[in-house]
Amino acid sequence: MANKSVWSDNRFWQRSAAWVTGFASVLLIWLTFDTSAQISMGNDADLKNGVTKRVPGPTVINYKITYEMDTKRGHEVPVIGGKEKFFGRDDYSEEEAGALLHLGKLGSQAKNCMDCHTLLGNGAYYAPDLTKSWLDPAWGPEGSLQAMTGKNTREEAMAEFLQHPSQYPTHERMMPNLGITAEEAKGLVAFLKHMSSIDTNGFPRNFGKIQGAVHGK
Amino acid sequence: MANNHLTSESKQLATWYFTFAAILFGAQLLFGLVAAIQYVMPGFLFEIIDFSIARILHINALVVWMVFAMFGSVYWLLPDETGIETVGIKIGKLLFWIFAAAIVVVVLVYLLVQVGPADETTIWFITEGREYIEAPRWADFGIVVVALGFVGNLFLTGMKGKQTGIVTVLMADMIAFSGLYLAGMFFTDNISVDQYWWWWVIHLWVEATWEVFVGAIAAYGLITMLGAHRKTVEMWLWIEVSMLFGSGILGMGHHYFWIGTPEYWWEIGALFSALEPLPLVAMFIHVLYDWGKTQGEQNAQGKDVSVINNKPAFTWFVLNAFGNFLGAGIWGFFHTLPQVNLYTHGTQFTSAHGHLAFFGAYATILIGMMYMGIQGSNGIKVMKNTKASIWAVSLITSGVVGMTVSLTIAGYVQVLVSRAQMGATWAAYFDGQSGMWFTQAMDWRLFMGAVTFAGFLFLIKDFLSTGKDAQHEH
Amino acid sequence: MFEPFVDVVPSFFGWLNQGPLTLTIFLHTIIILPMIWIYKQEKARLEREE
Repeated sequence: MANKSVWSDNRFWQRSAAWVTGFASVLLIWLTFDTSAQISMGNDADLKNGVTKRVPGPTVINYKITYEMDTKRGHEVPVIGGKEKFFGRDDYSEEEAGALLHLGKLGSQAKNCMDCHTLLGNGAYYAPDLTKSWLDPAWGPEGSLQAMTGKNTREEAMAEFLQHPSQYPTHERMMPNLGITAEEAKGLVAFLKHMSSIDTNGFPRNFGKIQGAVHGK
Repeated sequence: MANNHLTSESKQLATWYFTFAAILFGAQLLFGLVAAIQYVMPGFLFEIIDFSIARILHINALVVWMVFAMFGSVYWLLPDETGIETVGIKIGKLLFWIFAAAIVVVVLVYLLVQVGPADETTIWFITEGREYIEAPRWADFGIVVVALGFVGNLFLTGMKGKQTGIVTVLMADMIAFSGLYLAGMFFTDNISVDQYWWWWVIHLWVEATWEVFVGAIAAYGLITMLGAHRKTVEMWLWIEVSMLFGSGILGMGHHYFWIGTPEYWWEIGALFSALEPLPLVAMFIHVLYDWGKTQGEQNAQGKDVSVINNKPAFTWFVLNAFGNFLGAGIWGFFHTLPQVNLYTHGTQFTSAHGHLAFFGAYATILIGMMYMGIQGSNGIKVMKNTKASIWAVSLITSGVVGMTVSLTIAGYVQVLVSRAQMGATWAAYFDGQSGMWFTQAMDWRLFMGAVTFAGFLFLIKDFLSTGKDAQHEH
Repeated sequence: MFEPFVDVVPSFFGWLNQGPLTLTIFLHTIIILPMIWIYKQEKARLEREE
């Protein structure tokens, strides 16, 4: 019998550390390949053929998006419906929509959006989460935010707000003017509409479903 | 920090890193105060230094001061561990100045330019707009060069001198730490892919490589401050590495619940990250165990003096052992399960966890290392606590704990009102923010932030004066 | 016996996700089990060194 226990032997723990670290890294890399394939952006053909992608192609801006309970999966998922006009058009080509999304994503970084807002729940907590903001009833036909800007569509109301945020206070805490141009605002709204179509496994729960719950209906 | 007692150039360079880190720590707290005031008085510096800018500076200064103090800690311990002067120390000193100058430029651009047009030039020269790693791309490349130089020095020294277990762990850890930064340096239109890789930097830093770094530094501290046995300490270190990387690497799954990634991450993220507190418990036990053991051995020999040769540093190390477990472990576990995280994700809960975890896991031990720098620079054999040391540690700790409790309460309001009751819309968000519990919590957070800052002032006073205090044994 | 697949895209990891904790317990097991082999090797080495 050995007098020394393996449990207090440095070499045993050193080798275990190397094994555990190495193998966990290999698993992570394998999972990354699997996940990367699932979250790569879809394209126009997928949308036309009704292929569900976790991250749809940019031309999703030509379609109506809703957020509905999926009983099989047990949470809400974005549902892409029929055509819907976006700034007066529903025939953006793959290139046009891609360019708008590109502009909007760049804009979201150039204006430091996620240092006040959260995107997909990540960022700062000083302003509302933007994951499904495109679907917020407040920007819809009956919504207070749309009415505030005096515009007739979701996209125009959001773009107007983004260009002149401090003209439209919604709270004592206001969004500052970030010098967003009309074109940039259009890109940002396309980016927000696209983000709302991403399958986020039901986050945020019950988005826009409950109104006036606190103060009673 | 006077350098007259340091013969090692590596240790001199370490004190430069510590000094710059302490300055950035102050900047972090100042901009944190600005952001905290804005929660209470939204008009404060509106469209001058907006919340987004204050917060960028708050969290970037945080990351950078910690990286500076980490580099400093490695340069400090290398001569002790390897028994030789650090290889390539001249390059190390040059890189320090490049790094420091780059940081100053980045900060000035954040403050004075703030935002840019939606094109690639903004990404290259102003901001990348990705939380924690907003630094523009030119600075990314600078950081890579500096990190490569640092890792190069560490490797050459480790291979030339004595390669202890601590040095081996640091070598493996620091190369991963530097390499991971590359995952955060590209642009993509796909925000799910963007955030997938963004977490490779953020999570694999703070919940894997940085934690292992802390394990190695704690091991070094126990050997130098207590005279603990190297074999025991290094065995603990290897156990901690297994548990930290074993849970931390796949624990990344808890960031992949809601960003567009597949549902299987729920399970992976839930259990692996639920185990992340275990190594932190182990580290706490380890520190107290070694302290008790060495003190007991000495008492048994009839010597009735403390084994600790640096009281303020050891105080911060013990705080680290407990703060890491409480802030990273408990506060992290609070909201790591997907059933809970569905409602807490993106609320002040995260902020509460962030404050206590960064403080408990990293700020504490790095401040401890700064005290070791002061001890060495002044040739002190046994360093005692001064009044200022005690005020500093008490005020900073109660300030951060106070902020954490306030933010946790604010988080509850957000979860219950904005999320569970109202369904997370714009209106829901502001209903939550206007609640009395939320606004009062933010008042308390500001007050506790001010307490933390007062503690910081004591800390700086102590850093500047304790070296000359007559009560230390030379 | 097997749970029907519900996620968007079928995959190996998704398939291992058969109910509460099946996937994560599987991954933990394959990470931990080889440590038995390391243990045995190190035990043999210690005995040799005696």
